[in-house]
Amino acid sequence: MIQVSSVSKSFGNIKAVKNVSFSIERGEIFGILGPNGAGKSTIVNILSTLVRSDQGDVIMDGINIRDHGDAVKLIIGVVPQEIALYDELSAVGNLMFWGGLYRIPKSELRANVQKTLEIVDLVNRKDDQIKTFSGGMKRRINIACSLLHQPKILLLDEPTVGVDPQNRNHIFELIEKLHQEGMTIIYTTHYMEEAERFCEKIAIIDVGQIIAQGTLKELRKFSGVKDLLTIKLADASHVTIDRITSENPSFRFDSASSSLKVECGNVGNDISLVVGRIQKSGGVIDRISTQGTNLEAVYLKLTGKELRD
Amino acid sequence: MFKLFKKDLILFFHDHRSVILAFLLPVILITLFAFAYGSIGSHNGRSEPVQLLVADLDQTKYSKEIIFKLDSLEDIRITFSEATNAKELVMKGKYACAMIVYKGFQDALEAGNATPIELLYDRSREMEIGILQLNLIRVLMSSAGEIIAKKNIEKYLREQFPSLIKSGRDAILDTAVKDSSSMPAIKWTSIVGEKNDTKLGLIQSVAGTAILMLLFGVAGVGTSILEEKENGTIDRLLVSPLKGNTILFGKMFFAFFISILQLTAMFLFAWLALNLDLSTNMAALILMIFATSFAVSSIGIFLAAIARTRQQAQSLSTIVILVMSAIGGSMIPLFIMPSVLQKIAFLSVNYWGIQGFYDVFWRALPLTAILPKILVLMSIGFIMTLASIQLFKRRIMKWH
Repeated sequence: MIQVSSVSKSFGNIKAVKNVSFSIERGEIFGILGPNGAGKSTIVNILSTLVRSDQGDVIMDGINIRDHGDAVKLIIGVVPQEIALYDELSAVGNLMFWGGLYRIPKSELRANVQKTLEIVDLVNRKDDQIKTFSGGMKRRINIACSLLHQPKILLLDEPTVGVDPQNRNHIFELIEKLHQEGMTIIYTTHYMEEAERFCEKIAIIDVGQIIAQGTLKELRKFSGVKDLLTIKLADASHVTIDRITSENPSFRFDSASSSLKVECGNVGNDISLVVGRIQKSGGVIDRISTQGTNLEAVYLKLTGKELRD
Repeated sequence: MFKLFKKDLILFFHDHRSVILAFLLPVILITLFAFAYGSIGSHNGRSEPVQLLVADLDQTKYSKEIIFKLDSLEDIRITFSEATNAKELVMKGKYACAMIVYKGFQDALEAGNATPIELLYDRSREMEIGILQLNLIRVLMSSAGEIIAKKNIEKYLREQFPSLIKSGRDAILDTAVKDSSSMPAIKWTSIVGEKNDTKLGLIQSVAGTAILMLLFGVAGVGTSILEEKENGTIDRLLVSPLKGNTILFGKMFFAFFISILQLTAMFLFAWLALNLDLSTNMAALILMIFATSFAVSSIGIFLAAIARTRQQAQSLSTIVILVMSAIGGSMIPLFIMPSVLQKIAFLSVNYWGIQGFYDVFWRALPLTAILPKILVLMSIGFIMTLASIQLFKRRIMKWH
């Protein structure tokens, strides 16, 4: 559905995007994960025809964006990072205006507006001015404005920035619904949990470059980060601990939590093996907790820094 | 308290807009007003000489003598012209006054009859007329009055004292005319503005204020482009099927429409509340409203296009609009200004607008005579529009 090949973009001396390539299948949610200033918005701006790349090609639904930007505009919906609405207009006023730019027949547009208001759950506020809305409600209308022409591809640039948990859930449900309907979605974020929750494929971007991409499983494999077993012993005496760690050198004792830490490729497969080894070394297990490999760990491993730095 | 003072001082000097409005703008306006009221920029502390058109149809010794005396005055500069051309130039507002010395002037003087001399003038330029009046009276009293008095006394002496010798007669004549206050009759004819006879001040205030307020109004529309840029709606518009130029033209059309509405409302108010007769030349008035609106709205958009931020646009607009209005005649009638400023007034859109409306209401010129000003206004509009398109592409659109 989307093919991005060797795309670069500079602003003066600043190389915002360097040789970025990725591909997205139809109906897929593709996450672009990176800190602020990593180049996520520049990629979105290139894909949305707002910025022309210095080099490289972007093909969307078989259309080359460089040669046929106008055609691409008709098949994409763009949700900008800013709340790009007219405060003095009502929710319906904004939707009618933004939808009207796509030359949709008025009766069809009215129906689309009603349907979209239902999707974003703001029918009861449709005639209120946007300036009276909360930040989260504005975000939902901000998304709704990009759906009126029923695009094939939706570009969401950090749609949950500054949104409270309740409104964030509304937005998550909306995205999941659109995904179920088969829409191809590009989702930029610097929230790990959002990327983990929706995105079938994720590109990790840092300083304008994609440093890894794939499914979460592929990223985990690529980064070499493993699941973690934390085992609390009933008897955490020095003698017991020393015996277990000397017989099992890959087991590490964490004195801060007074527990054993064991990294494993797949916690489901390896847990019985680990338990057996501890018991064989004379250990009595009090509690076991597991921690699967999350994106945060992958990101940390790949970039050497935490995302919120 | 001192800490607050220091903090506010730092904030003030960091806010370039405030600094410009507080210091630069007053300096510019003071300079312009000082120019206008003639305290600086004039020659040897005097105002620039007033241009007087002269058509000497008599071409005699006495007519030439009087014209020479007028020309030798520091306050008057003579330009010769044909009589019909001179009248036309005054009616078109190129000159304040034309003096026509008709054939038979010398004969009339010698005969002691009323002299055929006429001054055709534009009442809207009262300051120039005042200067001319003062000087003409002085020169004509000392020249023509002297000639008439001499002729009358000489005639009387010849008739009553035929035996008196010439030297004796001359002595008596010189003494007699010294304090003579006899004066040739000059016919003063106002040839401009007769249709809206009492509405000169009204025309100035309506046209001047309307264009000034129009500029402020469209500057606001212009800065709305930057507002859209700042709140992200322009990017959203640019990713829609709309073309970049369409967005700009949409804004321009809105500014143009608002300008037409504003100007029309102001003239309607002047008609209904202040009795300004709008029917003098309706076609010309409509065209002037269109042309002025186009020029002014394009300037408003251009000011927004050259600024990078809304604040910058607001500061720039305030300065440009006030300066243009000051030199263009919105704040002070142009005829009050010295010729130096009158010469640069054409750089201001206010000048072309105000003069055009003067042509319509005051000078009551036909449409063909007003067309050049309409064309200038349209040209300003086209040039500013083209420049705005280029700047808009470079500054607002990121497609580069």
